[in-house]
Amino acid sequence: MRTRLKRVLRVARWEASRASGGVDRRTVLAAVALLAIAGTVVGAGVAAGVVGLDVDRDVYRVGVDADSSYADAVEGEPALTLVPAERATLGTNADLVVHDRGAMEGVVVRATDTSKGEAAAAEFREAVEAHNERLMYAELNRTAAFPLTVTLQYASPSGPSGDDPTVGDDPTVGDDPTGDRGTGEGDVDGVDEPTSDGSMDEPTSGDGVDDRDEGAGDDEDASLGGDVDDTSADADGEESGLASDGGADGEDEDDGGFAVPSIGGEAFGAGTVGSPGSITPPFPFASLVLAFVFLVPMNFLVQAYGSSVLSERTKRRGEPLLVTPLSPVDIVAGKTLPYVAVAVAVTALIAVVVGGGPVSVLAILPVAAAFLAATFVGAVFARSFKELTFVTVAVSVLLTSYAFVPAIFTNVTPVALISPLTLVVFDLQGEAVSLGEFLFSTGPTAIAAVLLFGLGLGVYREEDLFTQKPVSRKFLDALAVRLYAVGEGVRRPPGLAARLPDRIRGLAAVAFLTACTIPFVFVAELLAVAVLFALPVTVSIPVLLVTIAFIEEVAKSLHLYAGFEREVFARTDRVALAVGLASGIGFFLAEKATAVVQAVGLTELYVGRAAFGSVAGVAGLSPLVLAALFFAPLVVHGVTTALTAVGASRNRTYYAVALALATLLHAAYNFGVLGIHG
Amino acid sequence: MIEVAGLRKTYGDFAAVVDSDFSVGEGEVFGIVGPNGAGKTTTLKILAGLVEPTAGEARVAGYDSTEPAMRHHLGFLPEESPLYEEMTATSYLRFFADLYDVPRPVANERIEDALDRLELDHRDRRLGDVSKGMKRKVAIARSLVNDPDVLVYDEPASGLDPVTTNSVLEFTRELRAAGKTVVFSAHNLYHVESVCDRVVIMNEGRIVARGTVDGIRERHGETTYHVYTDISPDLEAIRNDHDGSLPDATVEAVGDRFRTAVPTIDAVETVRGAAATAGGAVVDIRTREPSLEDVFLELVGRPMPGRRAGDRMDESDDATSTDRPEGRE
Repeated sequence: MRTRLKRVLRVARWEASRASGGVDRRTVLAAVALLAIAGTVVGAGVAAGVVGLDVDRDVYRVGVDADSSYADAVEGEPALTLVPAERATLGTNADLVVHDRGAMEGVVVRATDTSKGEAAAAEFREAVEAHNERLMYAELNRTAAFPLTVTLQYASPSGPSGDDPTVGDDPTVGDDPTGDRGTGEGDVDGVDEPTSDGSMDEPTSGDGVDDRDEGAGDDEDASLGGDVDDTSADADGEESGLASDGGADGEDEDDGGFAVPSIGGEAFGAGTVGSPGSITPPFPFASLVLAFVFLVPMNFLVQAYGSSVLSERTKRRGEPLLVTPLSPVDIVAGKTLPYVAVAVAVTALIAVVVGGGPVSVLAILPVAAAFLAATFVGAVFARSFKELTFVTVAVSVLLTSYAFVPAIFTNVTPVALISPLTLVVFDLQGEAVSLGEFLFSTGPTAIAAVLLFGLGLGVYREEDLFTQKPVSRKFLDALAVRLYAVGEGVRRPPGLAARLPDRIRGLAAVAFLTACTIPFVFVAELLAVAVLFALPVTVSIPVLLVTIAFIEEVAKSLHLYAGFEREVFARTDRVALAVGLASGIGFFLAEKATAVVQAVGLTELYVGRAAFGSVAGVAGLSPLVLAALFFAPLVVHGVTTALTAVGASRNRTYYAVALALATLLHAAYNFGVLGIHG
Repeated sequence: MIEVAGLRKTYGDFAAVVDSDFSVGEGEVFGIVGPNGAGKTTTLKILAGLVEPTAGEARVAGYDSTEPAMRHHLGFLPEESPLYEEMTATSYLRFFADLYDVPRPVANERIEDALDRLELDHRDRRLGDVSKGMKRKVAIARSLVNDPDVLVYDEPASGLDPVTTNSVLEFTRELRAAGKTVVFSAHNLYHVESVCDRVVIMNEGRIVARGTVDGIRERHGETTYHVYTDISPDLEAIRNDHDGSLPDATVEAVGDRFRTAVPTIDAVETVRGAAATAGGAVVDIRTREPSLEDVFLELVGRPMPGRRAGDRMDESDDATSTDRPEGRE
């Protein structure tokens, strides 16, 4: 082991020196200078509060007496410039003049008869309103300033009723006694304590904590800036959190255990205090911008990494390494290590600069690993640098989107937790992150990264690395290499035949490979949810159920097709049925195992609650029905995958037809289960 | 040292190597020759553990070729061997020595020794700046850093100038003298003849001939008699008179003489008679032994059955030989 580690480190050292040697000093200096400039600009922007970079500063000139209370309003608005009333001449050096004649006579405002004058008047009106609200904030007696408290909930676009769920469906939704998602349930209560940090325009760090905690049903922290009735907080947070289950609920619904929270159904209100007009969605803009900075270096890193891997292939320079005692895993580990180290170093540096902590660094590492893993697979599959460019751009766009877009909704919906970047936003907002949240956010990404490396390593061998096979053939090779022979008459690699003569081992490999697709199925279904949730339920539900069925059928059968195409499996119906059933069982078990992990390990999460909620929703059913519901997915997966396997054992056309039929069958089952649950 | 039995490698429907069997003893230089796509490189890559056979077995230094432990006993030189051009020869070789866990002092000694024997200069110059011959020598030196028992060389002299080629061939002989087992492939049959103790000739994935060079020549080649006359013999008349006894005879003008190639002593006499009839005489008779190239062309000139055409995966047998040796007379 020590020797192996030593070899890996030797390759890493070589890769590091090679990579650094490929860039001349001037380029390095230029890059450092650019980074420094960019950092300075970003830092200055951040220091200015990002939103404080006003491009419309001092646009309108307002003449007002310095002693007037309106002078404070004008000075508080960056777009307005105060001109002393005695020197102000309308149309000359002022767009608007305020004549404050005291409480008795009122105020007269005159604006130039131009569009700019009208705009100045509108801006002045808003400035006065904002000024008044600031004054109310300063009022110690909050009840006097804001006599009415409204608990605000953001509704899902699919409908306010508990009977009209969002994407997916969940028995608990219909059973939700409150049925109040998005109803804007108002709990009127006296407010007796002011907050010290209540901003009207955006939640502060403290806001975020409270918002999120409330969603989780934390009674103590359910309100921001005021005490909200405990009962209402509980109802809003706890029950809304459960009622919002959706997402891959179609999956959960159909197969009994892969629950994902819905988008947009959870209450987060009570985060702001002020007038209704000043309430804005609680997007953590500043934190998001800073969190995004963590992703930027990844895009550069994958370029260098992908080029290095592909260069080894196109120039055949990697061939001598394959003859050394190093295994492909050692070689790839050694080549990847320097890039991981750079990712860690840069992430840590950014964390220090933007005020993130270890959580930010640890949350970004799986993202970096996913970037590198996806690029590695792309570089191993690509036939040219042109193809690699496409791969790296695709990787950058997809992973950046996957990480960034959900994080936008950090304070809105628990589905944001599918992105590790959400943890960074939490960290930057000063919020604590539980172990469950951390594992939920980073786990799928980390597992996907490992599996992607495994996929690429399957073809990290001479006969694939240095040939010009199309990507599709390499992909099938990469899958087939993880399979073992099943059936008589197939060609078995000599060493393999000696070690794995048993069909059971072959079928177990099939089941395992199917199970490995779960993280990708999970991500694909979440993306499907994200794309479809905004559509009307009558459209989104059918499309989603068919899409999910298709995703799962592909995941269960693609490697079977590879096995038949690469003659790992004998092309007989008996073998096809065997591997099909094995794949179905593998999927069923992995699915259940995932649900167990969520339920046991992630109980603090919305998704964990959703999983329990799903169970609770069927609590009234008889054990027989429960057992049938539990095992029905096994039957469905077994039947549909056996069908696709038989098609795959024939040829590509039969496989495509069988896949379509299996998808329809699976979707029909999904609809049926949906009907049972109402 | 090397045992190959029932070796087979297929890529889909294409059979690159078909039921190959051979063995190589310790201290022997063994040649594999054949035309492009014959399966030479695939065979060598299987021996080097780079390619897993579809069927059969290849054992190298007592290990199955797929076992990682085998690689400690093997030095491999691929036909194309691009180096890490940003490194120097010394640093490059040290890097590979590290991967083989060779202690640094031992590695330094071996590297110096190999570079000395290969007469490699410019050891501290970037490999990107040295000549192709130098690079090839560095690649050969790389195959020696772990002091292997078995060396597998694919076209070691490919694309090199004659001086460097001779240097490489001489080095191969030195390896044999040092007790190393060398498996050697080449398009240039002269190289094989001059270095190898035994050879196999491959065609379309199969071994079509095997043995020592002399033995193969003896079994598969035929002696030819060159009869030089001062007048062109009338072969048509001879054929008519002798009822097809000279089917392969050819006449070629060589300076002011005429050379008739015939396969038997009896045919020589027939030519002599024909020359005399035409008023001329035989001025010289020479015996020409078949070269390995003659045998090679004879053997691979006909298609082998039982091999389907397909998408050839291994394209590294592309190099062509342009400097065929003359036959020995």
